[in-house]
Amino acid sequence: MGWNCQIESIGVKSPGRRLSTSDLTGKFKIPCIRKLSLLTGISERKICSAGEDSFSLAEDAARNCLSYSKYRADELDMIINCSITKYKGGLSHLYEPSFSSLIRNRIGARRAITFDISNACAGMLTGVYIADKFIRQGIIKTCMIVSGEYISNLCDHAIKNIRTTLSSELSSLTLGDYGTAAILERTADEKNGLIVSGFTTLSQYSDLCTGRQNRNAPGGKMRTKARKIHQAAVKESVPIVKEALRKCRLSLKDIKWLIPHQTSRSSIISGANHYFECLGEKPGQIVITLKETGNTASTTHFLALYKYLNERQFSENDIVMLLCFASGLIIGVVIFKMNEIVYRYGSTN
Amino acid sequence: MGALIKMVSVARPRIGFHHVNSISLSARAAIQCLSDAQIDPFTIGLLVNTGIYRHKNTGEPSIAALIQKKISACKPVNNDSDKSESTFSFDINNGGCGFLTGIEIIHSAISDGEITYGMLVTGDSEPFHGLSENFNIHPAAAALILEKSENSTGFSLFRTYIFPEYSEEFVSCTFFHDPKWFRKGRNILNIKQKESYLDLCVNCSVESFFNFLDESGIDLDEIDLIISSQSPIGFTGMLKKRLGLNGNFIELEKTGEMIYHTAGPLFALKKVWDDNRFRSSENIIFLTIGSGINVSLALYKN
Repeated sequence: MGWNCQIESIGVKSPGRRLSTSDLTGKFKIPCIRKLSLLTGISERKICSAGEDSFSLAEDAARNCLSYSKYRADELDMIINCSITKYKGGLSHLYEPSFSSLIRNRIGARRAITFDISNACAGMLTGVYIADKFIRQGIIKTCMIVSGEYISNLCDHAIKNIRTTLSSELSSLTLGDYGTAAILERTADEKNGLIVSGFTTLSQYSDLCTGRQNRNAPGGKMRTKARKIHQAAVKESVPIVKEALRKCRLSLKDIKWLIPHQTSRSSIISGANHYFECLGEKPGQIVITLKETGNTASTTHFLALYKYLNERQFSENDIVMLLCFASGLIIGVVIFKMNEIVYRYGSTN
Repeated sequence: MGALIKMVSVARPRIGFHHVNSISLSARAAIQCLSDAQIDPFTIGLLVNTGIYRHKNTGEPSIAALIQKKISACKPVNNDSDKSESTFSFDINNGGCGFLTGIEIIHSAISDGEITYGMLVTGDSEPFHGLSENFNIHPAAAALILEKSENSTGFSLFRTYIFPEYSEEFVSCTFFHDPKWFRKGRNILNIKQKESYLDLCVNCSVESFFNFLDESGIDLDEIDLIISSQSPIGFTGMLKKRLGLNGNFIELEKTGEMIYHTAGPLFALKKVWDDNRFRSSENIIFLTIGSGINVSLALYKN
C-alpha cells in the first residue's frame, strides 16, 4: 500500500521582546536606511529577551505544536531540528549532542530518533523533504520538524559595520527571531498528501549570501548580495515551479495560496510579477507575513501557515504552495491541499 | 531495492599543512571519489555533508553547497530535461552517528527512484585555528558514493538505539571568552568529555549490537566485518574485546591522542576497501556512536 505524508499540526513560539524598525534605523545617521520599513514592509520584529535562545524557542514551539496535535510526545518516531543557529545558554553555539536529541529529552519523546540538519533558510522545508521520504516508505509514521532561530544578534554586528546603503550587511536589519514546529504524519489519503518537488541547490550562487560565527564577538555575521541573489532566485525558480505544477497536474492559477520565503515585501512582489510574465498566470493570493516578524530564516513558511490558520483564512481543500529560496542557492517547492487542520486553529469569534 | 557503495575516498592534510580548512579537505575527498568512480558530478542527485567541526563555523550556506560548488556539480536549471541532472545538498549534524544518518537518507532517495547516485561527504577541522580547548580531532575528510542496487545487495537495515540518560556525558560548544583589559574577546570551542563516557559508549554499543542482531536475524558468527566509529579514544579496542571479534573488527592504527571523528568509519571502510576485504565479505555491520548517546547500526550485504 502506498503511503502519503501530510501536515498534522503546527506550533510556534514568539520571543519576548519587540523591536520596531524605526527604533532600529534610528541608530543610523544614513537617511536612506531610515526608509527601511517602506522598502521591506517590515515595521517590527520579535527578538529574544534574556533567557531566550534558539533552544528555548525550539522547545517551546515543539510543546505548542503538541498542544494542537492528536499525538503525544512519546508517539513521535522522529524529530529533526532544522535551525541555522544552535544557540543554547545565550550565544553559546552547541555542536554536540544534537539539538533535536535535547528537545526529545525535554518534551519526553522517548522513542524518537533524532538528528539536526542545516540548510540555511530552507531548513524546515528540507526537513519536510526528508520526513516525506521516510513516511512514504513506511519507515516512520510521525515526524516533528522544529526550528528555533536566534538571528537578531546578526543585526548587532550589522549596526556596528554598516556605513552606506550599499553595505552587504544591510539584509541583517530585516531579521527577527522565532520558533516553529510541525508534526508530519502518515496518511492513506492520496488527495491530501504533500507533493515535494524540485529541491535543487544551485551552488554556483553559493557565495551570494554567507553567514558565520564572529571570531571576536558573541554571535554571528551575515553578508548578502541581495540584488544578485534575488535575481538568480527568481530567474532559476521558474522552470522548477513549472515542473512542480506539472507533477501535480495543476496550473499556477489553481494555487490558492503561494507562500514564498519572507525576505522583503518589494522582492516578493517583483518575484510574483516575474512569474506572471513567464507563466502568464497568477496564484490566488501571495502570502506576505513579515510586517510584524521580519525575516525569520528557516521558520518563515510555517510561521505564515500558523498565522493564517489562526486567522481562519484557509478553507479545507485550498491548495497551498510553499516556495523556498535560501542561500546555497536552494530552491524547492512543496504543494498540498489544506485538510481538517483548518478547523483546529483560531477562533470562530 | 537498496543502495550499494560504489566508491570511497579519504583526504588528509598535505604534509606541513596541519591547520586546514574542512571544506577544501572534504572537496578534495569528493573530487577523488568522483574520479575513482568515473562519474560525472552532474549525476550526483543528492549530496549530504555530515561533518561537525566546520571551517570558521560557517552557518550558511550549507557546507554541502560549498562542496558542491567545488566539485562543479552545479548545472543551471534551464529546462525540464536538465532538472533530472540537478543536485540537492544539505548538512546533517548528528555527531558520530551522522555518517549512518546520511547514508539512510541517501538510501531512501535512491529507493524512491529519485536519484541514481548520492554522495556523502564528511570532514572536521578546528573552526578557528588555536581557539579551542580539548580539541583532539584529526583534520580529515572522506567521501562515499552510493548507487542503486538492482537486487538485495547493499544496505538493507538501519536501526538507531537511544540512551538519553547520558546526554550530558559529551558536550561540545563555543563560549565567548572576554579577557577584558586591552585584549579582544574570542569565541572558544570547548569539548567536555566525562571520564565515564568511554565505558558508557562501549556498554551502549554492545547492548545495541545484540539488539540489532536479534532484529536482523543474523548470528554473530555470520558477520564477516564490523566497521565502526573510531572515536572516542580507546572505543574500538574496548568494543573489539567485548564482542570477541578480533579479526573481523576494523580498527585504525593509533595516532597518539588524536582521533578521527565523523570521518572515522569511512577511514576504516577505506582500509578494507583497498585490501579487497570489503568486497569479499558477505555480511558487514556498520556501527556508529555519537553523543546523546545514540548508537546507529546498519547491515550491508554483498
